[in-house]
Amino acid sequence: MSWRGLAGIGVAVAVLASLPWLRQVFELPTFFLSFGTVVLSWAALATSWNILSGYSGYFSFGQGGFYGVGVYTTAVLTGRHGWDFLPTVPLAGVVAAVLGLFVGLVAFRLRSLRGEVFALLTLAVPFILAPIVRLSPSIDGGQGISVPVPDIPAPLSSFQDLSYLVCLAIAAIAVVVAYVAQRNRLGWALFAIRDAEGVAEGLGVPTFRSKMVAIGITAFIAGLAGGVAAIQVGYVTAEGTFNLQVPLFVIVMSVLGGRLHWLGPAVGALVIVTLRDRLTTSGFEGYSLIVLGAILVVFVVLAPEGLVPRMRRRLVPALVAFGGVFGALWLTGLREDPVDWLALGLLAASVVAFLPGIRRRGTEAALEPVGPEVEAEPMASDAGPMLPPELEATPALAPAAPRPPIVVATDVTKRFGGVRALDGVSLSVHEGELVGLVGPNGSGKTTLVNLLSGLYRPTSGTISVGGVDIGRLPPHRIAHVGVARTYQIPRPFASMTVRDNVAMAIMFGRSRTGLDAARHGAEEHLALVGLEDQADALPGEVNLHERQLLEMARALATRPRVLLLDEALAGLNPVEVDNAVAVVRRIHASGIAIVLVEHLLRVVNQLATRIVVLDQGRTLAEGDPATVMADPAVVRAYLGRRGQEKPAHA
Amino acid sequence: MIFVQSALTGVLVGGLYALMAIGMSLTWGMLRVINLAHFGLILLSAYLTYALATNVGLDPLLTVVATVPVAFLIGVAIQWGFQRFEVSELSSLLVSFGLLIIGIQLISNVWSADFRRMAGDVNPYATGSVAIGPLVFPMPTLIASVAAVALVLLIHLVLARTNVGRALRAFAQDPAIASAFGIDHRRLGVLLAGAAGATAAVAGTLFAIGGSLTPSTAFEWFGVVFAVVILGGIGNVLGTLLAGVLVGGIAGVMTVAWSPVAAPVVVYSLVVLALLFRPNGLLPRRGGPG
Repeated sequence: MSWRGLAGIGVAVAVLASLPWLRQVFELPTFFLSFGTVVLSWAALATSWNILSGYSGYFSFGQGGFYGVGVYTTAVLTGRHGWDFLPTVPLAGVVAAVLGLFVGLVAFRLRSLRGEVFALLTLAVPFILAPIVRLSPSIDGGQGISVPVPDIPAPLSSFQDLSYLVCLAIAAIAVVVAYVAQRNRLGWALFAIRDAEGVAEGLGVPTFRSKMVAIGITAFIAGLAGGVAAIQVGYVTAEGTFNLQVPLFVIVMSVLGGRLHWLGPAVGALVIVTLRDRLTTSGFEGYSLIVLGAILVVFVVLAPEGLVPRMRRRLVPALVAFGGVFGALWLTGLREDPVDWLALGLLAASVVAFLPGIRRRGTEAALEPVGPEVEAEPMASDAGPMLPPELEATPALAPAAPRPPIVVATDVTKRFGGVRALDGVSLSVHEGELVGLVGPNGSGKTTLVNLLSGLYRPTSGTISVGGVDIGRLPPHRIAHVGVARTYQIPRPFASMTVRDNVAMAIMFGRSRTGLDAARHGAEEHLALVGLEDQADALPGEVNLHERQLLEMARALATRPRVLLLDEALAGLNPVEVDNAVAVVRRIHASGIAIVLVEHLLRVVNQLATRIVVLDQGRTLAEGDPATVMADPAVVRAYLGRRGQEKPAHA
Repeated sequence: MIFVQSALTGVLVGGLYALMAIGMSLTWGMLRVINLAHFGLILLSAYLTYALATNVGLDPLLTVVATVPVAFLIGVAIQWGFQRFEVSELSSLLVSFGLLIIGIQLISNVWSADFRRMAGDVNPYATGSVAIGPLVFPMPTLIASVAAVALVLLIHLVLARTNVGRALRAFAQDPAIASAFGIDHRRLGVLLAGAAGATAAVAGTLFAIGGSLTPSTAFEWFGVVFAVVILGGIGNVLGTLLAGVLVGGIAGVMTVAWSPVAAPVVVYSLVVLALLFRPNGLLPRRGGPG
């Protein structure tokens, strides 16, 4: 966590908070306050929306519902029950948060929830709420509610001061939460969910809880903003409250400003509100939605990362452009209205940020999360204990005295509809073992790996890891028990660097740490697989072999007791295979038990201390490599049919 | 009796819902594009019908000669853009939301936000009705549902029987394999999107014959159309027809039994329940798109 950033936000809030006072001293028009109020209230709504939808990628149309519930909480309590205004605001947040958690509880329970389905589910929220509110006599009853003007607390002089300061407080809460989240485990969990949710869960990220926390925060802040909006509107109706305007605006603002940066939505809010204000005052009000729609289209297609990351990359030119235009207009008096200076200054800065290089086509990875700058200095010197080089040449440990088992799968069956993918398989993996899992295509190898890592649940039978029954545990808890896996087709977090991919696994693995410690610790694992030179590359920039090595490093970083390697050598050329074999040896030598699913028998024979052969979902044979490979049943079932199979590495 | 009447009227209106939904369902299921601009095309066609009938004096049903080509071309252009920029499924939702907003605002700038309705003298279908025993069905609703059902069935036949239909289904199941067998997915995608636009045009024209128009009507269609698309099974033609009839009937009964305001609650609750419990639609799935 960077205290400098928080201090910066604090200073900005302090400066903004002095505006009501400055206004009295310099006798500025109230317009500045009301303009600021609008900007701040949209900044709060957009920033809070972004914590769920920008960070995790689950686009929500529900913001209008959360906001509307906030509006009605304050409206009903002040307008019908005579409450004071201020105490209703936090309550509005709480009521909205309850709604948000309910929506999350329904939606995020779905195992196959995709982003589009979530968007449609949340689209229903405002449309369901509006008629309910209209039809309930105790809430609205169809006539609307008029909200009384609140009492103004002592040091403030006007209603405008009050609503400005409350909006400032809410916007400050939203921005601080977004800032802190981007730097702590919640934000990184959400980024990982956006990139590859299933992988994140398998590495120990509590995905369900992270999404629930995010939607709770989003809804709470939207509810607060709704509470203040109630007194600004003055007269609240269901049609005016529950519509698509709020979701439309927050989406456009966040897409424009940048969804992966904490400040993006706030900047987007400033630009959009300024733009709309200028369009309205120059008589083009009928075009503001057209401009908004066009911004949405252009940015989603051409610049999905938004303005703020672009401005950061070109910080000085952007600031110079803004300052230059703003200052020039002010000093020359060419334009009299300060909002014009602001609008044209923002426009200049946006043009500078946007124009050079629209998007390298096909690089979705351009959406990099902007955390604190990655430290450039090599950290290998103070990395953890490295393995002595002579271990590389050590052959796989011979099975000495029987050691305690880590994984015990007993009589496990897995059915898909009528198909028995696994039929009564028992398997145990002991400490220090390297079990080669082989079998023809469709014999159930990957199904078994998916069961061991918790991706599937067994139809019957039990699986325990370190004495803990994992049959009912969610995958992230299984990771914490000590199971890690790689995927046949590498599935890195595409928006994070190679180092951060590994750091993710450390942060959420068996020993939870913060981001900085995790980045530091990642070096050790990258060195073990030989990826230290690629630490700052994005996964899309390294080759298949390196991505597979990254899979291994990331799995190791969870500090597993058993590592499941699912065809980690598929598609490699012979040199790369040799390198991968050496890496697997090193991992094994460091004391981690390994289950190796592999087609290349040469590799399995070389590495495994024990081989298990599956055929048609059953265990056909198991034992030391020499015995198993000589077993006639194995030769018949596996080798004898090889000619009919597709080449293993087509 | 009022329940029977409103349920049957709802069922007839449901035919139009199915026609509104069919284009969105097909492009979603086969092209992996969620095109919210589809609502804009329906709206635009409805306004064009209104304008051509009112200002030129064209028979409202004949205005399809104008609305269909216009909507076809816009559908083609949008899909061309989606393909050109390789827009993902979720991004297509956002981009087409932007396009919808632009379209609604343009329509609002041209025709204002007031309610528009064809006058009786240019719309010969507005006032007629057919009585069957004690039940009375307004003419526009009858025309709309007959035309809509016929069109949906025609689409089903095209997909099931013609080479273009087979190519589309093959493409929806596995784009890579279909392309390897010589199916030009880009041309096919653009063609399908144009056809979806054409269905939107007919739906818009039929809607204009019976109803009043205001730009925000497009948002009111969201609920029923998504309910029909999802209940019907994304990309499933006959399922869409069945779901349209079902949703129309339920909404019709709810309007009488509870309140016209309450219909969206029921419809959206159907969407939510369908997404939760039958994400592949009401009909059993036969493989293929979805």
